[in-house]
Amino acid sequence: MRILIVDDFSTMRRIVKNLLADLGFTNTAEAEDGGAAIAMLRHGGFDFVVTDWNMPGVNGLDLLKMIRADEKLKALPVLMVTAEAKREQIIEAAQAGVNGYIIKPFTAATLQEKMNKIFERLGSAA
Amino acid sequence: MSGAPSREEIALHLRAALAAIGAADEAALKAELAAIVHWQEQPLMAGLAKLAQQLGEALRELPVVDAAVAELPDVCARLDHVVAMTEQATHRTLDLVEDSQRLMEALNAPGADHGVLLKALRGNLSDMALAQSYQDLTGQIIRKVAGIVRDVHEQLGALGLPPGDTTRRPATNPLAASGPAVAGIDRSAASQRDADDLLSDLGL
Repeated sequence: MRILIVDDFSTMRRIVKNLLADLGFTNTAEAEDGGAAIAMLRHGGFDFVVTDWNMPGVNGLDLLKMIRADEKLKALPVLMVTAEAKREQIIEAAQAGVNGYIIKPFTAATLQEKMNKIFERLGSAA
Repeated sequence: MSGAPSREEIALHLRAALAAIGAADEAALKAELAAIVHWQEQPLMAGLAKLAQQLGEALRELPVVDAAVAELPDVCARLDHVVAMTEQATHRTLDLVEDSQRLMEALNAPGADHGVLLKALRGNLSDMALAQSYQDLTGQIIRKVAGIVRDVHEQLGALGLPPGDTTRRPATNPLAASGPAVAGIDRSAASQRDADDLLSDLGL
């Protein structure tokens, strides 16, 4: 399982990377915005995306839409980890096809719970 | 218009100009035409002079803008510095956390020197505490910036700008990313539980 972590803050990328490692996901890569992320994803080899929303350049919502519009990437699970917490935003992310939504600040337990839920759904859908 | 030629004087200039044409005296014609043009420009020039005078008076009546406004260009640099300091401190703390995890794993290794490893762990904990001292420094910078912004806001208010009525804030796009919500300022934000319930209702 190779996971791409997308956040404009290097500290948050590192925190997510460490938390994922604690959950057993040690094969990760990092991108600092949606533009860099989509280029890496199109290059191939990723199974999961954890992305922030508010980033300069291509933001997380646009990245999600680009993933869903890409024939090769559209089934890729996307977990949004963001400080954006308006109802309209959560609904928009859901309509754009997000698989999970975590509001910052978050705990290791929340990350684990959301990842498990996504895998369960993907498992039952398969 | 005081100082301007009278109608009779203009009639004289016009007759003299016609005479100059008849005499093919170009220099005289130019001189007469210049006098007529000057007469025509008089109200415009007088109007501009009055406008300049009124502008000068209005500027003198403006409240004196104090040092706070002059400090505005520094505000961004100060906040950038805060971002850099917090980033540095967080990476320093994460370095120490990761090193401590390595030391803890080493404690379980056969033949591990517990005394040395525990001393290193104590050192890491102490350094982690020290790394939090950034909060004092960044807190001082942010308070200074808040003071400058408050002063500028008061001065703008003294000028009648901007409206103090917060209900007149322009409508913002609810989907635009705006960062963490601040209690008491931003519209109440959803909690993780609210988000979970909302997504559950939407079938997620």
